[in-house]
Amino acid sequence: MTTTNISPSQFLAQDNVYLPHIAVIEKIIEETPNIRTFHFNFKDKKLQKDFSFESGQFGEYSVFGIGEAPFCISSSPTRRHHLEFTAQRVGRVTNALHRLGVGAEIGFRGAYGNSFPLDFLKGKNLVFVGGGIGLAPLRSLIWNVIDNRGKYKDIDIIYGARTPADLCFKYDLDIWGRDKTIKFITTVDRGDESWKGKTGVVPKILEEAAPSAKNAVAIVCGPPVMIRFTFPVLTKLGFTPEQMLTTLEKRMKCGIGKCGRCNIGNIFVCRDGPVFSYEQIKGFVSSEY
Amino acid sequence: MASKKINKKDIAKLLNQWSRDFAVFAPSRESGVATMARWGGKDTGFLDWYRNTVVAPKANFLPQMEEMFRFQKDGEGYHIELPPDGEKQLIFGIRPCDARALAIIDANFKDLYQDPYYLSRRNNAVLIGLGCTSPGESCFCTSLGISPAESNDVDLMLTDIGNELLAEAVSAAGKKLIAKTSGLKAATRNDEARAKEVKKTAHNKVTRKINAEGIVERLLACFDDQGFWEKVAAKCISCGICTLLCPTCYCFDINDELIKQQGTRFRSLDSCAFPVYTKMPMENPRAEKWKRVRQKVCHKYGFFPMSFKDIACTGCGRCVRLCPVNWDITQVINSVPAKTGVKK
Repeated sequence: MTTTNISPSQFLAQDNVYLPHIAVIEKIIEETPNIRTFHFNFKDKKLQKDFSFESGQFGEYSVFGIGEAPFCISSSPTRRHHLEFTAQRVGRVTNALHRLGVGAEIGFRGAYGNSFPLDFLKGKNLVFVGGGIGLAPLRSLIWNVIDNRGKYKDIDIIYGARTPADLCFKYDLDIWGRDKTIKFITTVDRGDESWKGKTGVVPKILEEAAPSAKNAVAIVCGPPVMIRFTFPVLTKLGFTPEQMLTTLEKRMKCGIGKCGRCNIGNIFVCRDGPVFSYEQIKGFVSSEY
Repeated sequence: MASKKINKKDIAKLLNQWSRDFAVFAPSRESGVATMARWGGKDTGFLDWYRNTVVAPKANFLPQMEEMFRFQKDGEGYHIELPPDGEKQLIFGIRPCDARALAIIDANFKDLYQDPYYLSRRNNAVLIGLGCTSPGESCFCTSLGISPAESNDVDLMLTDIGNELLAEAVSAAGKKLIAKTSGLKAATRNDEARAKEVKKTAHNKVTRKINAEGIVERLLACFDDQGFWEKVAAKCISCGICTLLCPTCYCFDINDELIKQQGTRFRSLDSCAFPVYTKMPMENPRAEKWKRVRQKVCHKYGFFPMSFKDIACTGCGRCVRLCPVNWDITQVINSVPAKTGVKK
């Protein structure tokens, strides 16, 4: 160990990964009664220009005085007018976020974690399987793929929620539904009189739709129970564990692999994930996911 | 550089001399428990009672609670302000087990992203080791490659040779410190021979042993043996004291506090023993106690060495000594079967 002459405060200022950037909320979209999407921009215009991220990465968002919580960036890096994240009102920070209005300032650290492997997806048929708010990370990738449409082959999107009122990003669903280059299915567990989509849980509808596994990759995100039932269906359709990707969620405080809590065995979801193939997940020491 | 020696009666003088350049910390019982406390200028006779501190010196680098920054809102929005300059610390009397612990957890704070709070303290500290000549019944450092009176993880190593402490520089910073310090006497060959004897004797005084051989593989092999872990966890009361006092446990939480528009973001020690540690609004991957105890044991002896090579335990014995229900990690490690248990 060596002593250096750098003063501790210089060190803190120069290289402090824990300091949030100040961002301003520019728009709030009520997706469902308890899920909102926030559009934001950094206050520092230079940062707004220089900031880079990949689909699948997440940030630590602060409501000052309440605390930090992790959410994926739900907008696409191909659309940089602003950034977006989507939060369900379930805990302390998300309740505080839902009380904020347009113009409010939040803190942002990131982007952290790995991302969807675009090089691996290139030239493949893509099958997106999403449930509820789990569409948020997929949506970043879906727009990314649509904006580079020529690089990818067929696109299937199967998206479901409990009821029509629980579907998120309806404005995107409308566009994808009209896009002739996308095979798009929405489903709900329970429909109502005006519901025109499918009725049934996502894994069941996926099995009916039976997208081909040939030269395909399935990207799955939703509540854990949906993910657990989706992998066996994909396996039945001929997808190998390497052909199935998902993004995992954990309590992540630091976001950078230091605070300890988001581990699954020796894997840290924040540092080594959040995107994993089913092949990787099968190799985890622990089933604590 | 030839080694030096210090008369024990001159300890106060020496620490006062170092206080001119450093914030000096030395063993103290003033708060009621043994800690590394700010040196007060007068000899408290700590050399007579000091075995080890209850609160590990990791507290000097990863405090129980620390301010990360302050924030305040005015008409223009939020402003963030960093805490004031840290001090250059000199830790006097750190034991080889605790010095090794810091070297072990450095890996976590340096990995991928640099942790500025911890590392700025580490980079601005001098560690003066003091060989342990009366290891406790609960100590088992020698099973983990540590010798109680020897260390390469400090800057300067002291050995009790009777009326005097032999001082040997271990690092460049230690050499520099010796060169700058007045009042040290040159040690004789006899002093050095005596110190060597003391180190050997101390090593042999550690009687508690663990079988850490192949422990990573052994743990992985019985990871899914719920019955084994339920038995191991049976008497644990999830109080977290073993982790909070452990010199290698570094898990932390980050929170905000807002008092009269003045906000603080702080981090504090956290513990895998607490259910809330991993709790998400909708689910908790380690809600059951046996899973949390498994995490504690497997992190130290399995996952950490899988990531960083070292076992994250130094055999300091605090968790054995201070557990309110006598949970004993040495018994647990010794009871992990050789790699023939339930395989995944």
